[in-house]
Formats: sequence, C-alpha cells, structure tokens
Amino acid sequence: ETWDMPTPYGDSVFHTQNITQFAEDVAEATDGELEITVHSAGSLFAHPEIKDSVRRGLAPIGETLMSRLENEDPLFGIDSVPFLAASYDEAEALWAASRPAIEEKLSEQGLTLLFAVPWPGQSLYTQGPVDSVADMEGSAFRAYNTATERLATLMGAVPTQIETGDIPTAFATGRADAMITSPSTGVSSQAWDFVSTYTELQAWLPKNMVIVNTGAFEGLPEEVQTAVMEAAEAAETRGWEMSEAETEAQIAALTENGMEVMEPSETLSAELAEIGETMTAEWSEQAGEEGQAVIDAYRAE
Amino acid sequence: MEIATLAPILIVLLFAALAAGLWIGFALIVVGLVAMAAASSAPVTLVFATRVWGGLTVWDLTALPMFIWMGEILVRSRLSADMFAGLAPFTRYLPGRLLHVNVLGCALFAAVSGSSAATTATIGRMSVPELTARGYDPRIAIGSLAGSGTFGFLIPPSIIMIVYGAATEQSIARLFLAGLVPGLMLVALFSGFIMLWATTHRSAMPADEPGSGDPRAVLRLLPVIGLIAAVIGSIYAGIASPTEAAVIGVAGALILASATGALSWRGAGEGLIAATQTTCMIAFILAGAAFLTVAMGYTGIPRALAAWIGEMGLSPYALLAALTVFFVVMGMFLDGISIVVLTVSIIMPMVLEAGIDPIWFGVFLVLVVEMSQITPPVGFNLFVLQKITGRDILTLAAYAAPFFGLLVLAVALLSAFPQIALWLPGTMLN
Amino acid sequence: MRLFLDRLYAGSLFASAASFAAIAGLVLIQVLGRLIDRAARLVGAPPPGLTVPSLAEIGGFLFVAGVTLGLAGTFVRGGHVRVSLLTRALPPGAGRGLSALVAAAALGLSAFGTWSSWLQTVDSWVFDSVSFGMIRVPLWLPQGVMTLGLALLTVALLDALIQLLRGATPAYEIGEAEAGGEG
Ligand code: NA
Ligand code: NA
Repeated sequence: ETWDMPTPYGDSVFHTQNITQFAEDVAEATDGELEITVHSAGSLFAHPEIKDSVRRGLAPIGETLMSRLENEDPLFGIDSVPFLAASYDEAEALWAASRPAIEEKLSEQGLTLLFAVPWPGQSLYTQGPVDSVADMEGSAFRAYNTATERLATLMGAVPTQIETGDIPTAFATGRADAMITSPSTGVSSQAWDFVSTYTELQAWLPKNMVIVNTGAFEGLPEEVQTAVMEAAEAAETRGWEMSEAETEAQIAALTENGMEVMEPSETLSAELAEIGETMTAEWSEQAGEEGQAVIDAYRAE
Repeated sequence: MEIATLAPILIVLLFAALAAGLWIGFALIVVGLVAMAAASSAPVTLVFATRVWGGLTVWDLTALPMFIWMGEILVRSRLSADMFAGLAPFTRYLPGRLLHVNVLGCALFAAVSGSSAATTATIGRMSVPELTARGYDPRIAIGSLAGSGTFGFLIPPSIIMIVYGAATEQSIARLFLAGLVPGLMLVALFSGFIMLWATTHRSAMPADEPGSGDPRAVLRLLPVIGLIAAVIGSIYAGIASPTEAAVIGVAGALILASATGALSWRGAGEGLIAATQTTCMIAFILAGAAFLTVAMGYTGIPRALAAWIGEMGLSPYALLAALTVFFVVMGMFLDGISIVVLTVSIIMPMVLEAGIDPIWFGVFLVLVVEMSQITPPVGFNLFVLQKITGRDILTLAAYAAPFFGLLVLAVALLSAFPQIALWLPGTMLN
Repeated sequence: MRLFLDRLYAGSLFASAASFAAIAGLVLIQVLGRLIDRAARLVGAPPPGLTVPSLAEIGGFLFVAGVTLGLAGTFVRGGHVRVSLLTRALPPGAGRGLSALVAAAALGLSAFGTWSSWLQTVDSWVFDSVSFGMIRVPLWLPQGVMTLGLALLTVALLDALIQLLRGATPAYEIGEAEAGGEG
C-alpha cells in the first residue's frame, strides 16, 4: 500500500527531514508493505487544509502545527501559552502531561496521533537591545494569532498582523519592528537583513504533530500497525534531538550573520514571567477543568 | 494505470475538451477527474471541494479584483486616454512609438502587483483600446502586451517568488532583489524587439499621432503618475502591504476620477461589475487548476518526470536545458505556480547537487514560469487577453510567440552570465 | 420564470461585487488604522492600534464568496473564456449539436462541483470546523456561500442547455459575440 502524506514545510526544514526518515523507516520495517510518499511544502494540500484532509480520508496521514487547531479546542494551544514551558525540559514535561488529553481530542475526530516534535523556542527579534518591557512600548509587534496579539498588548506594544511571506517587506518598510519567532524562521527569513537583536526567550516551543486517519490506520495489518508505531516513537525521540541541535545551529547562524544574540535581563525575565502567569490564567479559564487538570499535572512534576 | 499510458491520455483529453469549446476551468476539472479516477483511491468528491476551497481562500489573491477594478475606473474616466496622449510626445521619435507603453507600463505596474494576470488585465484594459484606436497592428500591440504582462512575476513583488522562497527556505528579500536586473534586461529586450519590428514593418505602423508635437500634452500624464507613485509609495513608506496597496490604487483612482469630474457613481459601479466578471473568469480557471494540480500530485506524473531528468546525471548546463524543456512542456498544461509547487521538492536536490545557486535558480524558474503564461492551451495571460480582445487563444499565442522567444533568450543570457541575477543581492545585502 | 432567472443571475453578480467591495473597505480601515498609529507616534501619544482582526483570513473568505457567487452572472454574460474555433467553423447544425454537448458536459461537472462543495459544507458543520485566525469563523458559513454560488452556476448551465435544445440562442453566446467585436 502507498500512502500520500501532505506536510506544510519545505524539504530543508528539519521537521520534513525527520518525516522523510520516518517514511523510510516504515518502508524498511514493513518490507515495502507500506510506502509513504511525502508531499512537502503544501504541494498536495496546503497547511490550512491538511488536518481536515486527513480526517476526511483524502490523505491517510499528514503533518500540522498543533496550535493551528486552537480555535477548535483551547487544549491544542497549550504548547503556545507564552512562558508556560520555556525550555526543552519544560516543553517535554508539558507534552507528557498534555499528550493523553490531546490524543483523546483527536480520537473524537477519528484521528490518531503518531508523534509530535517541537520547533526551537520562540524568541524576540528587535531593532535594538530590550532591557525591560518598557523598551517595547508602542512598537509595532508582529501578531499572527490570538496569543501573540495578547502578548503584544500585555507588553505595551501594538499588535500588527503580518503574513509570513510579508515579514521582510514589513520590517524593511517599518510596518513592523519586533517579532517573536523561532531561530529557524529567523534564519530562513534572513532576519539580519532587517533586525539587529535576538533575545533568547524560548517563550514557548510550539509543536508539529503527525496524525493519521484512524480508519486507514486500523485497516493496516497488525504487524504493519506495530511497525508504524515503533517508527513514530523513534521519530519523536529523533525529532526532539534534531530540534535541540537546530536551536544551537541556527542561533550560531544568527551570530555569524552579525546579529547580536542576548540573554534576557533579570528585569525583562521577571516582567515576562508575570505576563506568562496572566496568560496561563487566562488560558486555563478558557480551557476549563480539562485544561486546568493538564496544568496541574504538569506543575506536579 | 502506468504513468506512460496515463499522461498521453490526459493530454489528448485536455486538447479534445478545449477544442470542443468547453470552458477552460471545466476542461481542467474533467482532466483532473479522469486522472484521479485512474490513479488514486482518494475520495474525489471531497478532494475537489477541499482543494478548490484551499486554492481560493488565499489572501494574496484579493489584490487581483482590486487592480482590475482600478484599471476599469481609469478606462471609464478618460484618465487612461490622457495617459496615452501624454506619452505620445516622448515616444514620437522612438521606433515603435506608443507600443513601448505596453512594455514600460507593464514594468511599472509590475513593481506594484505580484501577479502577471493582474498586470496583463490592468494595462491591457487601458492599452488595447487606445492602441487599436490609433491604428497599431494588433499582432505587435497584443503580442507585446502578452509578453510584458509576465513582468508581474519577475519584477518584485512577485507571488511566484514568495511561493518558491517559502518552499525552499530562500530569503524572499534576496529573491526580489535578484529579479530586478533580469526584469530590466527583459524590458530592454522587449523594447529592442519592438524597435526592430517597427523599423522592418514600416507599412504596418500607423501615421504620426496628430498633435503629438505639443509638449503641454505631457501635463496630462500627471494624474496617472501621481496614482502610481501613491501605490508604490504606500508600500515603501510602510503604509500598506503589497496586497493592501491594490486598494490604495482603487481609492486613488476613484478620488482622481471624481476630482476631474470624469466619473459618476454609476461609472464606478459599472467598473466594479466589469472587474468582478474578469476576476470570476480568472478565479474559475484557478479553481480548475488547483484541482488538476492536486490530481497530478496524486498521480505522481510531475514527480516521475522530474525524477527521470534527475536520473540522467546531466552536467549543469545540460540539466538547465532539460529543465527548461520540462517546464515549457509542463507549462503548456498547468499554470506556472502549480508546476513549481509540484516539482520543487524533486528538482531542488539535483539543482543543489549540480552546484547551482538557489537564488539564481529562483530567477530562472520565474522566467520559465513566465513562458507558461503565454503558451497554449493553458496560459493565463492568453485567457486575460481573450477576455479583453475577443480573439482566440491560438491567435493570441501566435502574436505572443516572438516574446516567448525573447524569454528563452533571456534564460540563455541568465545562464551564461549568472551575475545578471546575483550581482544586486550580493551588493545590497552582504 | 425567464425574468426571475435573469434577476437571479444579476443579483448574484451584485452580491459578488459587494464581496469584493467589502474587501476594499476592510483594507482601507486597516490602512487608516496604521496611519493613525503613525500619527500618534509622531506626536508622542500612545498608538491606539486599530486593526481589522483576521483580515487576511476574512479577506480570503470574502474572495471565495465573491468568486463563486459571481460565476453564474459571469457565465450568462459570456465572461468565461473558451476556445471557440471549432464550434464556429462547423456548419450551424453540427455546431449547435456540439454546443449542446459541451453545455451538457459543463452542467455535469458543475453539478459535481456543487455536490462536492455541499458535502464539504455538511462535513464542516458536523465536525464544527473553524478558522485558524483571531476570529473564530465557522467554516460551514463561507463554504455554504461557495456551495450556493456553484449551485447558481449549475442552474445557469441547465438554463443554457434547455435554450440550446429548444433552438434558442443562450445568453452567453450573445455575450461572447459582443465581446468578439472589441479589439
Ligand atoms: Na511584480
Ligand atoms: Na501555458
């Protein structure tokens, strides 16, 4: 059997490389009984349609950013609450605490979670050093969803909607002067062309998840299912390692290209932690008991 | 079904459907349906709606109706007639005279619009009636427009470069800069060809413009120059994104037209209705193309062809030649952006392997995609021009053929002198 | 019936134009908000930060609504392009037969598209699919508009096919002939 697998990102992105490896592992472990054709960079279905395509059985398997589904259920946005889990260790603990609930939400839609891998932590890109939140006041801060918009407002900045492809133009022409994104996106959009300072916050580590249509999965022979699950587990471990290595490599690339890479000052850290508390509380309220239970489980560890 | 059997069947089907007079969007859909029935087990009904929905809910596409609406307002308010009268003195002693307006107008407009269809539609809506009324030969008047309309992709901003940059993780800013000099080179090539044509076809050129010796006519250019400056200026001053700037164009055209008393509310409304029809026409074909593209993704035909080229183990120049042929052939049947999306992940590794610069390759891709805009049977600039001129696609393709040749020449020049693309980004950003 | 259908096509074309005009209106508000922010910064006041939330996503929805609602109106005015070399070259009888055949094929394809879009709308309704952006838009809403637009196109094609079979000249052929007179 051959499975078409739509994924949103290009071949040079480590997520795609990890998935390509996963597909090879599956083919090898099943002796070619299940071949997965990876359609990267949205070439089969674009990012907004991938989840529904898998649910509708148009493609048996696919990859999507988990927090894209936040409007369906706040739980999917748990990995994008700023400063709730602001390092790889914390992100791993949060994932362990939230995984069962996420799996259940997905299974309600006939989807099975295979694995999830985080992007490098989201950090701050600005035109100059930021010592405290006051330095952000009034600046045009790129917002691309509800959480980033709220974050901008809490920092006293003005949220500005900028599409990904529009980032360089927006910065070059002054429609935006600050953003929070991963070092990967910083390097791929060649941020040094338009901003000077990178402040390492790792404010949150959003994850891409690989999901499979449960019906299609259960249609596979037992031993193939097992092989897929084993390959998925290996892909998750490998993906997290790749992500950490990516963080280091891309921060080095930022430095190499002349960006000033800074650790946040004590003042800034304290102020941001407070904003994080506010946003976590707001998120919990939205997510209700279910969400609170996940937070409690995470904090108990 | 085997790809070697399926591909020719699909091509014959497409030609038959088009020749019978089936509307283009439907012809693409029927080929997509047959392809999916033959080579995929995915439920085709939901694939259609999912992909058409996804292919049309794209923010950048919203600039299309805006630019076309702006063009309709200008035509209805005599501002476009003023523009031609104002340009006449400048071009009086230039062989080819007002034909150069197509080239320069498209180049200027391409600096605002990221799409070739919008560029062709907006400039064409103004220049075709003006040039026809002045007695210019339609072969060169329409052909040069079809060719120049493709500048929309090469001169930044460019939708296709954004697509390529996102898929291959290349800097969009660098790609934009890299497109600028090749864009100017194409302007020179096209204008040069028009001069050559005008010198060799003196009898086909209209008589001198009456009153074109009056230098005061230049003043009539001011409103339109002001409008273009406002649109470009709004982008560079950070007031509007390139997509939003299209609306500045509409607002500016409305203000100008009402200030000069040349446009009523009724006229503005009629312009909107006309723009709506052109947009629906183009978007319907885009919808068909989106479905055919996903069907092609399922069949794996473009991947297999690209991989076959990769297996030939060609030298860099031979690889580029093979890719050019590949893209030209694919470009006859699919729209350029779809081809890039479908094949980039197979092609990029071989390109990098051959030591070709990815930024340079982006410019190369844009040029071959430009060619696909003017090759029959599926060429978006041709569809736009059919709507404007009422002439058949094959006739229009014949008019555009010399400019297709010039695009091939541009690819050859770019391959021989890669610095044409790489010099500017290298100087500006390193 | 004739009058009702003609008004239906014209009305949907107006609705389509209104969608595009709405995009223009929203973008203008967004640009205006940015200008106000800039002016506020200049005088040292805090920028109010007036924006249209989810503009890109909502603009996309309005675009798809505009396009699909305008399909029928564009069709009856001969606005959709095709290659008419063969139909024009054929003798009148055969040409008419081919036209009817093509209209029938288009009708089938359009009905398929409508059915497909309807299934998608129902699916989005059942699963409560929502948009990704800052405003939570239920997807069945714009997808329902898309279905409506495709359904109107199907009606227009059926209308044209009946005209052709009756021996009348459908509206789109008149529109195409008029367009051919330009240029
Ligand atoms: Na352009
Ligand atoms: Na073509």
